[in-house]
Formats: sequence, C-alpha cells, structure tokens
Amino acid sequence: MKKKLWVCAWLLLSLGAASAQQERFRKSPPIPDPLPQLELPAVESTSLMNGLTLAVVSRPDQPFISLELIIMAGESRSPQNLPGLASFTAEMLSRGTPLVSATELEDRIDAVGGDFGTTITPDFCRFSLRFLDGYLEQALETLSLMLLQSNFSDREIVALKRTQFYDLKQKQRDPEFVGRRQLLRLLFKGHPYGRSFFNEDVFKSITRKDVQAFYDAYYRPNNALIVLAGNLDMAVAMKRVSHFLNTWPRREVEPPVLTVPAPNAEERYCLVDLPRAQAATLVIGNVILPQVESDRFPLAVLNQIIGGTPFSRLFMNLREAKAYAYSAFSRLEFFRSCGFYELSAAVIPSAASSSVREIMGELERINRNKVSNFELEQAKSYLIGHFPLQVGHLDQLSRRLSEILAFSLGDAEWARFNDNISLVDADRIFEAAQRYFLLKPVVVIVGDKNTLLEYLRDIDRLEVYDLKGVLLYTRIKGVEG
Amino acid sequence: MPKRRAGVCLSIFFLGGVVVSAAQSESGLNFSWSRYTLRNGLEVVLSEDNTLPLVTVVLAYQAGSIREEAGKTGLALLLENMMFMGSLNVGPMQHIGYVNRVGGEPNAATKEDIAYYYQTVPANHLALALWLESDRMKALEIDAAKAERAKQFLLDEIVQRKAAEPYQESLQEFDRLLYPDFAHGHAVLGREEDILRLGVEDVREFYETYYVPNNAALVIVGDFDTAAAKELVEKYFASIAPGKQVPVFLPPRPPEKKPVVASFKDALVPAPGFHMGYRVAPPFSRDHYALAVIDYLLFKGKSARLQRKLVRREGLALYVTGGLEKRKDVGVMKIFAMNNNETMVEMCQKSIVSEINKLRMNDVSSADLARAKSLFRRDFVLRFASPIDRAMSLAEMVFSLPGLDVLPDLLPKYMRISPYEIRMAANRYLIPESSVILNVTLK
Repeated sequence: MKKKLWVCAWLLLSLGAASAQQERFRKSPPIPDPLPQLELPAVESTSLMNGLTLAVVSRPDQPFISLELIIMAGESRSPQNLPGLASFTAEMLSRGTPLVSATELEDRIDAVGGDFGTTITPDFCRFSLRFLDGYLEQALETLSLMLLQSNFSDREIVALKRTQFYDLKQKQRDPEFVGRRQLLRLLFKGHPYGRSFFNEDVFKSITRKDVQAFYDAYYRPNNALIVLAGNLDMAVAMKRVSHFLNTWPRREVEPPVLTVPAPNAEERYCLVDLPRAQAATLVIGNVILPQVESDRFPLAVLNQIIGGTPFSRLFMNLREAKAYAYSAFSRLEFFRSCGFYELSAAVIPSAASSSVREIMGELERINRNKVSNFELEQAKSYLIGHFPLQVGHLDQLSRRLSEILAFSLGDAEWARFNDNISLVDADRIFEAAQRYFLLKPVVVIVGDKNTLLEYLRDIDRLEVYDLKGVLLYTRIKGVEG
Repeated sequence: MPKRRAGVCLSIFFLGGVVVSAAQSESGLNFSWSRYTLRNGLEVVLSEDNTLPLVTVVLAYQAGSIREEAGKTGLALLLENMMFMGSLNVGPMQHIGYVNRVGGEPNAATKEDIAYYYQTVPANHLALALWLESDRMKALEIDAAKAERAKQFLLDEIVQRKAAEPYQESLQEFDRLLYPDFAHGHAVLGREEDILRLGVEDVREFYETYYVPNNAALVIVGDFDTAAAKELVEKYFASIAPGKQVPVFLPPRPPEKKPVVASFKDALVPAPGFHMGYRVAPPFSRDHYALAVIDYLLFKGKSARLQRKLVRREGLALYVTGGLEKRKDVGVMKIFAMNNNETMVEMCQKSIVSEINKLRMNDVSSADLARAKSLFRRDFVLRFASPIDRAMSLAEMVFSLPGLDVLPDLLPKYMRISPYEIRMAANRYLIPESSVILNVTLK
C-alpha cells in the first residue's frame, strides 16, 4: 500500500514537472519541407491586324477578368512646355464620347462590377479594368468607346482640371510623395522624364487641342498592348478584342529619343517645407545607369539587403538600433532608359541629421564591403519566396505581365525569375553596387521647416524649397540671415 | 461558364468537424472549407487552394477595442504591438524576421471586435507560421519595458494620425454620439491620457483573458494537404491550455430614438464639413441586407448617388464618402462631407436628406438596383479572391453572429433584395429620429 502511494506521488510530481516544461518542438523553428515548384500560368500572345499586341493568361478558377491596356506614351512624351499632358489625356479617356456621356460610361463600368483606373509612368500610360467574369463583351465594348470615340469635350476638360488640381493638392499631404517627387525633379531636371514630376499648376494651360494632338499622335494600336487574365482563352479573347478594336487605325509613331541623364555627382541637400508635418521624411537617391539584363538580379538582391524589409540594414539600424525612425526602406525603379534607387525613412525631427548620416553610411558600406553569406542567402530566400505573393492577385499578375511586355523583359523576369535570383553571389552584388549605387546621392528632407532647420544646422549647404518645388533660398553654414 | 449546382452541395460531419463545399454561381464562392474545434476551444478552419505554392495563416482573437474598459482605451492595440516583441521561444521582432526571411508577409490588424494576426508564407513553411503563432498564444513575454515601448509606439501613431487625418478627432467625437455605448463608441486608437496610465498588469490581464484558444479562430488557406495540416494544428495548438471563461459581451440597449445635432470646433481642418449618421439594423438581421444595397446605391462605385449629386451636379461638397459600418452587434450608416463653407454644409445636409427621401418614397429603378448588386457582388467575391483575403473573411465569419456556416447563403440574400425591401428599410432606419449630425467648424 505504501509503495502504491509513493508511486502515485511520483507520478503526480512527474506530470507537474512535465506540464511546467515546454514540449521540445516549441524550442526551435520547424524544419521546412522542400520548396514547392512554382508553376506560373502560361502566357499566350499574338498581334492583331492593326498591330495591337494581345496577351492572354487563362485562369479558369477566377471570378474576375483583369484587363490591362498599355499605351506606350508616358509623361516623357508630354511637350516640354506642357508637363502633365500625358496624364491629363489618359484621364480624359473616360470622360465621354459624342453619344455616350461620362456618366453613362461610369454606369456601364459599374454594371459589370468593374473597377477602372489609370496609371501614368514616364514611359507609358496604363488603363486597368477589372470586371466580373461573364461580362467580357460589355467590358470590351465600353473600353472601345473610351479608346476610339472619346470627344474630349471642353466641359469635361474644365471639370477634369478641377479634379486633377484637387487630387494633386491632396497627394501633397503625403510627405513621401512630396519627397520622391522632389528627388526625381532634381535627378531628372532637363530630361524628358523630369516632366513626370509636376505640381498642380500645370493643368491650367492644357487645352482641348493639346489633348487631341497627344491622343492622335500616340493612341495607336501599334503603340499599345492588352493583357487579359481570367476565365478565358486566346481564341475567345482574340475574337472579342478584334470585334471591338479592329477599327482602331494604325499610324506610325515616332520612337522616343531618350538620352541617359547624368547622375548627381556632388553633395546636395534639400529641405521641402511641409507645414505641420510631425516627422522628418528622408528620401535619398540617385540615377541608376542603364544595365544589362542580367544585372537586374544582383541589384534586386542588393536592394533587399539594404532596405527591402524590416529585417534589412536600414530598418535594423535606424529603427531597431538607433530608435530614430518609424520606418526605413529602399526601393529601385526602372524606366526604359535608366532607373533610380531610393533610400527613405520617416524619422523623429531631432534625429534628421543623424539619420541622413546613417543612411549615407549604409550606402558607403554596401559599396565598400562584400555582403555576408548569411545576408545574401536571406535576401535571396526572401525574393524567391515572395515572388508568388507578387502575382497572387489576378490584377497583380496581369499588371506584372503588362510591364514585362512593355519593356520587352521576356522570360527572365517571369518563369526564370527564381533561377536568376538563385545565381546571384556576393561578387556580383559588390560589382552591381559599385557600378550602379553611385555615392553622392541627392538628399531630400521633407518636414516643417520651422522645426527642422534647427536640427539641420550642421549641413554646409541646404536648399530650401516650398511644396511646389520652388527654391526659396539656400542656407550656407556660417552665413546666417 | 459551366453551370454548377447552387447552394451547399455537401455538408457532412467528419472527425467532429464540418466540410462545406459551396457552388460558385449563386454563392459567389468557388472553394470549400472544413471546420472543427480543438478540445481547448480553438476554432479551426481549413481551405485548400492550390493555385500558387502559398499558404496564409490567420489567428483571430475576439479581442478588439470593444473589450476595453473605460479609462483603459488603446489596450487592444497596445497588445497588438507587444505581440511582435517576443514570446518564450521567439525573440523580439523575430516573428517578422522568420516570416520575411522565407519571403512571407506578416501583419496584424486590430478592429473594434477582432484582433487579427496573419502571415502568408511559401507553402513549405506552414509549420513555421503555426509554430510562431502558437508560441505567442501560449507564452507571450510581457514586461514593463516592453509595455512602455509599445505605449510609445502607440502615442507616436496617434500624433502621426492626427497630422495625417485632419478629421480624425471629430470622427472620434461623432462615434461617441452615434454608437449606443462606450464599448462600441470609442476609438481603437485609444486616448492619450488613458494610454499613459496603462500598466504592465493591464496588458497581462487583457492577454490572459482574451488571448486564449477558447476565444480564438485559426484559419489556414492555401496550398496544403488537409490531413497534414490537421496534424500540425494538433501538434502546435492542442496542448495550449484554455483560458478562463471569456467574459460574455452583452449587446447594448438601443439608444433613445431622437435626432442628435452637435458641433465640433477644429482649427486644423482644411475646410468645414460634417459627419452624419443613422443608427440602423444590426448586422445580419432582416433589414441589414437591404441596407447593404442602399449603401451601394448611395456610396459605392462611380455611379454612387451622393458623389454625383453633391460633388459633381450640385457642387455642394468637395468630397463625400460613407457607408454601412458594423461593430460586432451594432450597425450604423455613416456619411462624411467636406464643404467650401458653412452655408454649403447646411445645403449639403438638406440635399442628402432629399436623396434619402427619394429612397423612402420611390422604388429604385431596375437598372440602378442591378448596378448596385453587381458592385456588391464584385466586392463580396473579392473578399475571397486570394488566400489572405479569404482567410481574413473566413475568420471574420467565424465570429459573426450567424457564424461561418451561413456563408454560402449570404450572397443570395443580398441579390434577392427587392425595391420594396429597400424602400421599407429606408423608411425604418434612415429617418430623422435615428440620425446624428456633427458639424465640424473651423472656429
């Protein structure tokens, strides 16, 4: 009996100890299964008689169809004295035809469960139309009305000027938008790409004649492409698109002449006054010279290491180690003739100057030392694992494909993307950093100048701009007043 | 498009759970799911989608701001920050690090009724996501230093939001007037003075009360094998002890039926404006479906009536927005407009009332109704279009009043709404006695 009691007590004690201890599997992360094969949907493409490129991705599981139309004429095609014309023309497309008013066009889009939007880049204008499966016919009919019969009425031009003015004013509340616009204005000053970064005043001088002229010159099927993704195949797409767009007349379009802008080569610090801004927003960058295709992949890994995620160098330094920043990231953007890199952070105003130094330090570090194997593998693992997330939505899929086609990037950025990232090593990143991540970037700081000027007093030469990008004055250290 | 059988095709019990396979054409859902409950009370929902090699894991807790007591606002959001500051086996910020390193995207969102923690990862890392979520459910590390840091993040966010969203403060005041009680009417963001007073014990108590398996739902959507996923769920979550009985949340008493008009001075807003609202039927009640269609008629899409009338046709508002909003068991319809001056404010309000009166007096045309339903259908289907959207929506439905099982029947209910039902709902709820107006003035 005594022995039984002893055994019971021992059992109870053991159970108690076991429950207090955690299970072994909780102590470390599980070992992953092998990486699954990524099978991207096949892309079929063809050209219609009038030169329009049509690409189709069949996704029968999707309840939507996503359509992307690209016109290969972005803001760099706006005349030098009319920046903003490409954007304005694109927006005018949905503003009515001689027989169908703007309101009726909107009704038609809503009736198919549609979403319609425009995006303008320096190189192209993109029209995105997503609608419920089953409405292909109606959606294409509406698109063809907009594309082929827009009448650019004076009444709608006046209305759009008001809307565009107000929208841009609203966007200027966002310090990141203001900072990036200022950076790109300075980097692309005098270059056709510089016309993309305008303020709200540009719309005043645009006339109906300007819009019509821009449309006539560039809105041509042989200067356009359409991507359709969803529950359809090439045969159906070809038949329906031809039906609605075969009367779109072809006309030769002069290819763009785009020189490569000279990168910034001397120290340049700019403050843009955004009254009442609570944080200091830093946007630092420079032009990336044209690359060979294979260099895009080491650049992507490099960007990842510097500031692609919260575990990249910028975030870990500025937010986690120094507690200066709310956020800190980097990005790359490529245009047809070149690109730019951008390191940005939203920081507490008192740490603005220190944060700029830290960011410049990170830029130098990536140019001076090869990245560690750990960082390299971590960044590659992120990019490879993240790729399917970037095409998870039907819209994302069709948008990415439309850009690949617009820039003729080919399979390297699609089916072979993961293989290309896998091949990147520390040497290639080092070479890419030295070749493309040029030191001496332009530094733009956005914030309330009444607060920030004091914190930026150690900067030798500071250009101070207003929100419209007008230079107010330049402050030279030691020359006050 | 192939025709499929409408409604629920199959509903069988297995292993104590339910499998639902919904046909797409009527339900708008082209996927199935299975649901079961672990012994500790954790609700589990699994939905396979093999389109891409990804998997989304959502862990949702009924731990939104409506669970906060007066004087302790901001606690729910503060805890969201702390959930990334480390647990027994996962260091501070490591949750994000583990997910990012494999290419995944982690995030969290705290709403009035639910706090969501979610990540999408490559499909071979499902176990990683479950390991991470189970660790912070089982053993979050809460200490004073972390609580102070989380408080600072929250206070910074309040400052930033105030600067970025000029009508934020008046909106908070409006919510206090429109919602029937403190629990529903206070902001998720919390009040600065309350946040400053919060102590580590408050955080611990909130965590121990609400972050327990018997108050949570785990939803997994993506490329996985259901049997293998069940094993993993069992491994990581079954041994987590349930918490005490979660306090019952009682629906509030309906407020007295009388119009409320108030004003709010805010020198920092760019233009005068107003918030206008109606206390309407609770979510998923009989009239809710008609009110949802009214929401689309008035506010959604390019053809939205108020946008066209107030901004484009009459020029009375610079901007107008609104919609049906629900906070757990309470429904409201909200409108916000920004105007050029205070005369326009008054005219704009009259114009809104006249538009609403049209809904009360006349049947909507079949073209308008069809358009509103198409837009509704679009947004409904979008809520399930990707693994992350689907997982979040399934989690929300688990905690909804009618529960997840009614999901296949939902879209048809909205699609069947008739002009008569719209007129009746407008007459029952969009009336002066249910209205609240808060005028925002510059001085």
